[in-house]
Amino acid sequence: MAENTKMICPTCGVEMNFHAEKVDYATELAEPDSIDQDLGGIIEEFHTCSECGQTLTRSAD
Amino acid sequence: MAEARPLFIPIILGTTRQGRMSEQVARFVFGELSKRKNVESELIDIRELSFPTNDAGETIKDPKFSETIARADALLLVVPEYNHGYPGILKHALDTNLKEYIHKAVGICGVSAGPFGGTRVIENLLPVMRELGLVTIFWDGNFSSVQSLFDDSGTLLDAAYVRRLDKFFKELIWMAKVLRHGRENVGIEDE
Repeated sequence: MAENTKMICPTCGVEMNFHAEKVDYATELAEPDSIDQDLGGIIEEFHTCSECGQTLTRSAD
Repeated sequence: MAEARPLFIPIILGTTRQGRMSEQVARFVFGELSKRKNVESELIDIRELSFPTNDAGETIKDPKFSETIARADALLLVVPEYNHGYPGILKHALDTNLKEYIHKAVGICGVSAGPFGGTRVIENLLPVMRELGLVTIFWDGNFSSVQSLFDDSGTLLDAAYVRRLDKFFKELIWMAKVLRHGRENVGIEDE
């Protein structure tokens, strides 16, 4: 998953640090077919750039 | 370490009411925080934000507010205690962001007309902070009997608050530095 596909900071061009995951339960309402059945929602990943400090998110695979 | 960049710690004044006494507290806290080396701050008055009340959450984001929170390393809330709770409008504003808060420090200054310095509103806010992904510190600011704390020009009448805030800031800044390092360098999958 994230080990193989590091996010790249669009500003600095460096690999970002994957430091958090959070379940988005609301996605069960909007996208019921895409939820992780074990966890009850979509897992959102949080990646932060060590150069500029910006944080980006993406849904886990 | 990434500490060459100053820490950015905005202060959120958490009430829109007319005659709010928390404004004087927020301005005092902002003035004291602005004196710290390597810390930048900004006072966010939620009265100046405008969120629809017929929807909630990220669908009603204010782009400038969200950008400010995204840039922050920590947040400092100045919050009055209303009937033992927090202002609903503050919760409404905070709920418009989520990813902007993750793994950032938060400190809370409670304000009350009574003797307890907003301790109950702080306690009520803690689970909210946790769910937003913020990391609370264990020092609080407690501004009691706020109607007697400032003169007509807004000058603080009790100098003890300066020393108390110093301790509060030290903890908040430490946590902000540590969490910035963690966000930028410590992976969730590191063993």
